[in-house]
Amino acid sequence: MNLEYLWGGFSVALTLQNLTIGFIGCFIGTMVGALPAIGPINGIALLLPIAYTMGLPPESTMILLASIYCGAEYGGRISSILLNVPGDAGAVMSAIDGYPLARQGRAGEALMLSGLASFVGGMIGATGLALFAPLLAGLATGFGPAEYFVLMVFAFATLGSMVGSQPVKTLIGCTLGLMLATVGLDATSGAYRFTFNEPELGDGIEFVVLVIGLFSISEALIILENQASGFTVIRQLGRMIARADDIRKSVGTALRSAVMGFVVGVLPGAGASVSSAIAYTTAKRLSDTEGTFGKGDVRGLAAPEAANNATACGAFVPMLTLGVPGSGTTAVMLGALMLYNIQPGPMLLTERPEIVGGLVASLFIGNILLLILNLPLVNLFARVLTVPNWLLVPGILVLSIVGVYSTHASSFSVLLMLGIGMVGWLLRKLGFDMAPIILGFVLGHVMEINLRNALAISGGDISILFQSKISLVLWVLAAAMAALPVFLSRRAKKRLKATAPA
Amino acid sequence: MSDKTKSTSLAGRVGGVCLLALAVAYGIGGSRIEYAFASDPLGPRVMPVALAIVLGILCLFYLRKPGIAEAFPTGPLLVKTLAVPTLIIIAVLLLEPLGFAASIFILTAGVGWVFGAPLRKALIGAAGHALLWWFVFSWLLEVYLPKGTLFG
Repeated sequence: MNLEYLWGGFSVALTLQNLTIGFIGCFIGTMVGALPAIGPINGIALLLPIAYTMGLPPESTMILLASIYCGAEYGGRISSILLNVPGDAGAVMSAIDGYPLARQGRAGEALMLSGLASFVGGMIGATGLALFAPLLAGLATGFGPAEYFVLMVFAFATLGSMVGSQPVKTLIGCTLGLMLATVGLDATSGAYRFTFNEPELGDGIEFVVLVIGLFSISEALIILENQASGFTVIRQLGRMIARADDIRKSVGTALRSAVMGFVVGVLPGAGASVSSAIAYTTAKRLSDTEGTFGKGDVRGLAAPEAANNATACGAFVPMLTLGVPGSGTTAVMLGALMLYNIQPGPMLLTERPEIVGGLVASLFIGNILLLILNLPLVNLFARVLTVPNWLLVPGILVLSIVGVYSTHASSFSVLLMLGIGMVGWLLRKLGFDMAPIILGFVLGHVMEINLRNALAISGGDISILFQSKISLVLWVLAAAMAALPVFLSRRAKKRLKATAPA
Repeated sequence: MSDKTKSTSLAGRVGGVCLLALAVAYGIGGSRIEYAFASDPLGPRVMPVALAIVLGILCLFYLRKPGIAEAFPTGPLLVKTLAVPTLIIIAVLLLEPLGFAASIFILTAGVGWVFGAPLRKALIGAAGHALLWWFVFSWLLEVYLPKGTLFG
């Protein structure tokens, strides 16, 4: 197996600049993750334009964003344990046993133990990514426009599992993203599409404008509505060192959950919320012989934490090798690469090994940094929870405005971001997820260009989309992925019927 | 059916109709895109029209079963919710004439107040925000931010 890219990556990630960037990313990521309601996607959305405006090279920007992503997965556990409110979707299961532990006066122990489990998950995930990325990228060579188009179809087909319970809303979100991607100058015909004679729309809707609008602006409004509910922070952390017996008890669970989390992360569409739920229920089924899960069992905390951190690394596999995001956050990171005019996909590892290698290496380094940061500084991160919304939300809005304004020095972009944010808020109220919109937007342009290029090559003959073996395999996989949620929901219904009392 | 469920179901249907209208408008707009030539058989119109049809069909499914929707804010909460975007618009319009620091002060003071801070605290917090972000972006990161035409 050729791991040369990884050694090259370490030389990129270990430069003073990138180490500093990685450290800053880990720190900010943990803070962002610790804050309830603000997940990794918001942190990345807010810092991406600033990194871009500062003129950071693409590999440094990716290291920053990856560090924020992993830091947020670590930070998510803090509010789960101390507030019983998950910092992000992946930390939902961590609250089940984490909060009862905190209420027993063992918050410090729970934080250390979950930090260690996160470390195990992150390291196993990073190792899996380092080994799998070249394998998958090797398989994915020989892609032409037709194969790329079918790959995009496959990516959309996997969306069913992203928001499996509401496939229509997911598909609508995806279509809206595709529609937004059509705005601007059409390069092959020179036609302006949906620009309404506005010169600033000539280049299309900026990715940064869309992502900040959908995530940050709508989030601020959601926080405003939810703030009335109120939280109680557990301030007494107790002893900060986990007991050796608890660590010993959790090792097996953490290792198993990390492997499961990585596998789930590799599947496009399935995210940390799915993997932590699977890891928790598996740990409960295998280990809960005394009925202690849900009442403060350390294994119930270690399982989801190891899984969600491994998933974060696993989600990079499809993103880096196929150009297909494994989660909403990696969809944003994919967009970040496109900002630098880098086309993610099967050739990325060959053409830009420093980006892939640097990112993978930074995950190893980042996990060590995060462990170092999270054990002694957990008290500091826990204090973030006491920042009142009236101070926090204006800060988010300032970052959003600066992020958008700094890329083009244009008030129009900020107002467009606001408009998109308001529509995003309305859609969120109606139960729509924002991630499919981002995915549709990111992949939409690539999808259309490749379809048109493929048909230009074949002279309009649509059979070109079904000619190569790769295309056929991808069509079959796409059909299987699209059918999977339907099959699973029917099976679940049958089971429910079978177990229901007559 | 409870009133809340009724209203959220209604909100879902209204949303569905709006999306359907968007699909129609987008489809009509897409079919009227003007272009002189295209180097591929599809051209710039096919994708938008196809997407409009897909969205239209999906909207029909959605309208049949809108699913779960959250209740929309009413009364004072609605006023607060609308105040946030209004404050952003004001801050953006004042960005060039007043400069970054002053417009951010207005925005953060207003939003802080909307989020429940007493006026004095909101003003102190806003002063802190304006100074902090000006220092971070303009001095530390050297990001271009307007200084304000009114102040020369």
